[in-house]
Amino acid sequence: MKITQFAIAAGLAAGLLAGTALAQEKTLTMIVIEGGDTTAMQAVVDAYKAEHPDVAINLQPYPFAQFFQVAELRLRSAETGIDLVYVDAPLLASYASRGFLSPIDAAIDTSALVPAALDAGRYEGTQFALPINNSAQVLYFNKALFEAAGITPPAGLTEGETASQVEVDTLASSERWTWEQVAEAARALTVFEGGRTTTYGFTVEQFGELYQLQPFGESLGSPVIGPDGYTAAGYLDSEAWTKGATFWGNLYNEWAVSPKSLGYGEAASLFGNGQLAMFAGGTWNLPILSATDVDFGVAPYPYFEGGSVVTPTGSWYVGVNAASANQAEAMAFASYLTTSDAGTKVWFDSLQQLPTYTPLLDTISTSADYDAFPQNVFRLGVYDSLNTAKARPVTAAYGQLQDAFRTAFVDIANGVPVADALASAVQKFEAAASRVAQ
Amino acid sequence: MSRSRTPVLLIAALLAPALIGLVVFRLYPVGLAISDSLFNMVRGQQIFVGLDNYLSLLTDRTFWKSMQVTLWFNLLINPIQIALALGLALLYVQNFKGVTLYRVLFLIPIGVSLPTAVIIWRIMLTQDGLVNGLVGIAGVPAQPWLTSESLALYSIIAIATWKGISYWMIFIIGGLQTIAPEIYDAARIDGVKSWQRLIFITIPLLRPTLLFVLVADVTINFLLFAPIFMLTQGGPADSTNVLMYEAYKSGFIFGDMGRAMAIIVVVVAILLVIVGLQFKLLSNREARS
Repeated sequence: MKITQFAIAAGLAAGLLAGTALAQEKTLTMIVIEGGDTTAMQAVVDAYKAEHPDVAINLQPYPFAQFFQVAELRLRSAETGIDLVYVDAPLLASYASRGFLSPIDAAIDTSALVPAALDAGRYEGTQFALPINNSAQVLYFNKALFEAAGITPPAGLTEGETASQVEVDTLASSERWTWEQVAEAARALTVFEGGRTTTYGFTVEQFGELYQLQPFGESLGSPVIGPDGYTAAGYLDSEAWTKGATFWGNLYNEWAVSPKSLGYGEAASLFGNGQLAMFAGGTWNLPILSATDVDFGVAPYPYFEGGSVVTPTGSWYVGVNAASANQAEAMAFASYLTTSDAGTKVWFDSLQQLPTYTPLLDTISTSADYDAFPQNVFRLGVYDSLNTAKARPVTAAYGQLQDAFRTAFVDIANGVPVADALASAVQKFEAAASRVAQ
Repeated sequence: MSRSRTPVLLIAALLAPALIGLVVFRLYPVGLAISDSLFNMVRGQQIFVGLDNYLSLLTDRTFWKSMQVTLWFNLLINPIQIALALGLALLYVQNFKGVTLYRVLFLIPIGVSLPTAVIIWRIMLTQDGLVNGLVGIAGVPAQPWLTSESLALYSIIAIATWKGISYWMIFIIGGLQTIAPEIYDAARIDGVKSWQRLIFITIPLLRPTLLFVLVADVTINFLLFAPIFMLTQGGPADSTNVLMYEAYKSGFIFGDMGRAMAIIVVVVAILLVIVGLQFKLLSNREARS
């Protein structure tokens, strides 16, 4: 009797324990960038939670300026406390080569993702991360400043006009301004009064950054580094890059049309104040600029005369920490975020970044919701991402390349001779990269 | 049989907190730096490479350029700071009209935190900033203080000096106050001129204080990082790329901890040699006198 009672009690207890274990919530942790990205990610997490009540996802936001260091240190220490990681496209090779990320589950259907974006998440043939969204750069121009200077602005999309995908394609393929046109207009638009510049003609949003400036040399025919990922000699110091970098230096020195050392977000605020006539920047500036009084238009990202059209691209990916104990759950959320109708829609609605999920791109191209300005600017993004986008180089030494590149271009803007700055960048990158390649 | 008079256990217990702190916060990181400098991270694996990281520094142009910048920076900033701190301290202990205002003015930089001071200076040194406005009044064209290869290092020296000298001044004032006024009185009666008093009385008697200030100041300036990190990131054209910044970049931006730690160990070794020399030189003179 006693034994039976005990057996029943034990059985019940075991069943109860198993039951609680099954119903027990799994908690996943994800590191993300603070701000709009966290808000958007939280929206996706909430939508996911509604479908999967057994999984909780805890977001750990970090400021942009610290995110890369935190991610590097936490991943390097093989910390099990992180399951999902926000990965910047060019750092993927560096993470993957050091075994920080798990290969993406082959069962996840990635056929609906833009192939170029998917490729940038691959390292040595293995998919290590999935693209969350893409990015596109455009040329913003202040219509009033052009009018006041008596100059015809570039052909572009403006307030009060609608544009179909076909019309946008025509604009992007045949009415795109060259950098030479930008420089000429910028010189006429720059106002120098009382010993200081009161209106700048042009600037790029990200001062000296590879993401923004890669098209400068690529448009003229040379990649930044060689296909092995570790050679810069003959590429970054080539004739094409020398010409592109000379143009960059002239913007700051000979023509003095651009403000030096702009910080994060400062281009948009100068433009919003009417102190800047044109800037090359991401589509993410649209909500900020629409909230200002400036009457602006959006033209395609320029290229060099006689060169090819090359535009910046690439953005954020999601990867699964190789040290995570919750591989299956983390993969399932990564898949929801990047390859499901629901997840990609929630993300796009919240962050307004060009998607990599083709059904959503088709919606942007065809839905009447995107006919009007500024929503139709995304159609420019669609055109560029399918036709002119050039991803950043894949190398395990990307951090080294980005730093050497930034140093060189900041120095050139500050008056260091182009040949010296590029030679120094080549030497520094190759020296640092050889330590990664060993 | 009486028990030992020395309460060994009590001494050990009283010293323990300080000793544990010393081991945990000083010796352990030093040991860690040395051990990390013997490894490299290759494909996610820590590989023992022996002295390879040090050997590769020998042929590393960026490292040697950075070494050159660090030594030049220190060769300038330390004498400047100590001379100015001494001068300010001598003024500080004088009694003249308005001395209180002067004292307050020169104590202000101590109350400002370094990052705040750096940000304020950055704003003042921009192209349209206050400093260029002031030199503009004198008819000098606007200078690219922090963005030109020929000026950036000197701008950083100026900022660090502005921030640092009042602090060192306090120590020197303390030293000045330990000099007995009778010595000056005797010298005055003997008809010693004021510059002779400075050279033959004040400076020799200040030697212990100056030794401390010299050692501490050299150490701080050798390890100076924040203004460079915040203002120039080692540029333009590596003109402000001191070894501390180069090590930071290697370790935290490139993830190359082996090289970063090797640089740090080299910096510490150089510092030990310099500090050792300073002790030797200054205490030798003391022995002679």
